[in-house]
Amino acid sequence: MGLTFFVFLSSGLFLGWSLGANDAANVFGTAVGSRMLRFSTAATVCAIFVVLGAVMSGAGASHGLGQLGAVNALGGSFTVALAAALTVYGMTKIGLPVSTTQAVVGGIVGWNLFSQTATDLTALTKIVGTWVAAPILGALFALLLYGLTRRLIDRTKPHILWLDQWTRIGLLVAGALGAYSLGANNIANVVGVFIPASPLEDLSLGVFTFTGQQRLFLLGALAIGVGTFFSKRVMMTVGKSIVTVGPVGGWIVVMAQSLVLFVFSSQSLEAFLVRIGLPPLPLVPVSSSQAVVGAVCGLALAHGFKGARQINWAVLRNIALGWVATPVIAAAISYFALYFVQNVFEQPVYQAAVAAAFELPL
Amino acid sequence: MHCYLWRREGHVVDSGRHIWFTQVLRLNLTGACMAELKISPFRRTQVLKSQIDEMLDVVSQGALTYKHGILHYVRHGWDEAVEQKFQQLSAFEDRGDTLRGAIGQALYTEMLLPDTSGDVLGLLGFLDRLLDEMKHGFMVVRIERPKIPAEFHDIWIECVGLAVDTVEQVVVAARSYFRDPQTARDHIHKVHFLETEADEMAIRIMEQVFQSDLSLDRKMLLRGQVWLIDRIADLADDAGDALAIYAVKRSV
Repeated sequence: MGLTFFVFLSSGLFLGWSLGANDAANVFGTAVGSRMLRFSTAATVCAIFVVLGAVMSGAGASHGLGQLGAVNALGGSFTVALAAALTVYGMTKIGLPVSTTQAVVGGIVGWNLFSQTATDLTALTKIVGTWVAAPILGALFALLLYGLTRRLIDRTKPHILWLDQWTRIGLLVAGALGAYSLGANNIANVVGVFIPASPLEDLSLGVFTFTGQQRLFLLGALAIGVGTFFSKRVMMTVGKSIVTVGPVGGWIVVMAQSLVLFVFSSQSLEAFLVRIGLPPLPLVPVSSSQAVVGAVCGLALAHGFKGARQINWAVLRNIALGWVATPVIAAAISYFALYFVQNVFEQPVYQAAVAAAFELPL
Repeated sequence: MHCYLWRREGHVVDSGRHIWFTQVLRLNLTGACMAELKISPFRRTQVLKSQIDEMLDVVSQGALTYKHGILHYVRHGWDEAVEQKFQQLSAFEDRGDTLRGAIGQALYTEMLLPDTSGDVLGLLGFLDRLLDEMKHGFMVVRIERPKIPAEFHDIWIECVGLAVDTVEQVVVAARSYFRDPQTARDHIHKVHFLETEADEMAIRIMEQVFQSDLSLDRKMLLRGQVWLIDRIADLADDAGDALAIYAVKRSV
């Protein structure tokens, strides 16, 4: 059982690697693109904090994704993750920032279609809604942070060298926060589909217990961590192609994107919003690519018409095309791959009796 | 390469003899690791900031030295005091070269100011050229020792004063650039004003020289000297133009 599970999990780990190679670029792209941080430093910090975020705070967004469809057989989990991974890998190869969330959602919808399970439209609407909300929130956070940073710099008038020094530290801290939030938010994309079928059990390590889900998250997070070391090319695309971002602007983008990921994955924030009587934000995996593009555009718009003219709209158009294409391609690959796995390799890809259940007991 | 992690000195008495010892725990380091330990990023930033400040001080002091030297020469001819000023200016120029090289090397090897290092070095290059230009002008005076007729003393002194004011205003604008690029532009328009004044003064001197009864060779000699003074103001104006662009580029 153990070996079989790891063979099936390999597609999830491949997806984790793809996510690391692609989404680490969103966290540290502007920092590396503006040459404020070395790629090796960025990748190392990113890998460490992705693992921490996934293991410590990965449960919230996983629960949100589980509502879309409970892939209840290991063969199905393997195939859905493989379909998403192939989609992300292919688009990363051609240098396009691609949304892993959309690839996974596409893969799960493909599984729902294949297993003739009704897709929970409420959950789907909630997730798709974040596709719109994430870039808008990213832009709003960037506008807000730009105003505050500008005011702070105008008031304190730091020497150019000290500004440089503090910006480097700020980029590292914001990047670490972003990587933590990425791990917490996007681990659901990597191993979320394996949770219902996972045989991993709780492991007691003296003073604290490592739950089966946390062990699964750790494996996925390690795959993401390895992937971050392969993200240089996409980092350069994010850092330079959309709009020319200076070091302070880079900090604003990273921070804005980190905040977007944080608000969509923090269970503490959700509890706080409920406590003060505000509607909570849905805890679902959001696209860090969308958040970062929104933040970069927000930063450009903060400069008014002059800034808007600087935006490289052709790159944005390609990214938007990727957003539309990603879930469709992933769903198609998932559907056909499930057919092959079931009929050629004779592996069960769903359990009909349980497939009707949407809600996962996480 | 190595550094001391722990070091202790003391003595023991063995058979009535005092034996002094030093205990040392050493850590062997590679060159790269040593460079990391040698200076912290904050210390490095502080050192570099001091070097930039010193560069600006050197240019400002060089300009004042040039002014005092030339004024003294105009009134008293080449004497010990003027020679001393020339030596001082040469020392400032040497120091400027050294500082510019050190700052440039630090900026590139440490990957500091990735987006503005080119502008900072361009600005320091202009400042260094100003020192070179002032030293060159002073050296030509030292070689040619032109006799400046008494009727031109006041206007000559005024022209030198304007050229030096232009340089000083560039230094003020450069100081602003490093902290508050918005205000740098407030100083740059003064640079343009002073340069125009210096130009007009130089033309007036040359007109008066060529309308005087001096021999043609003296007229040519004096014209060359005036050009050298005016070139300082022109170069300062070029620095002001570049600085205006650098200041615009330094936005969030």
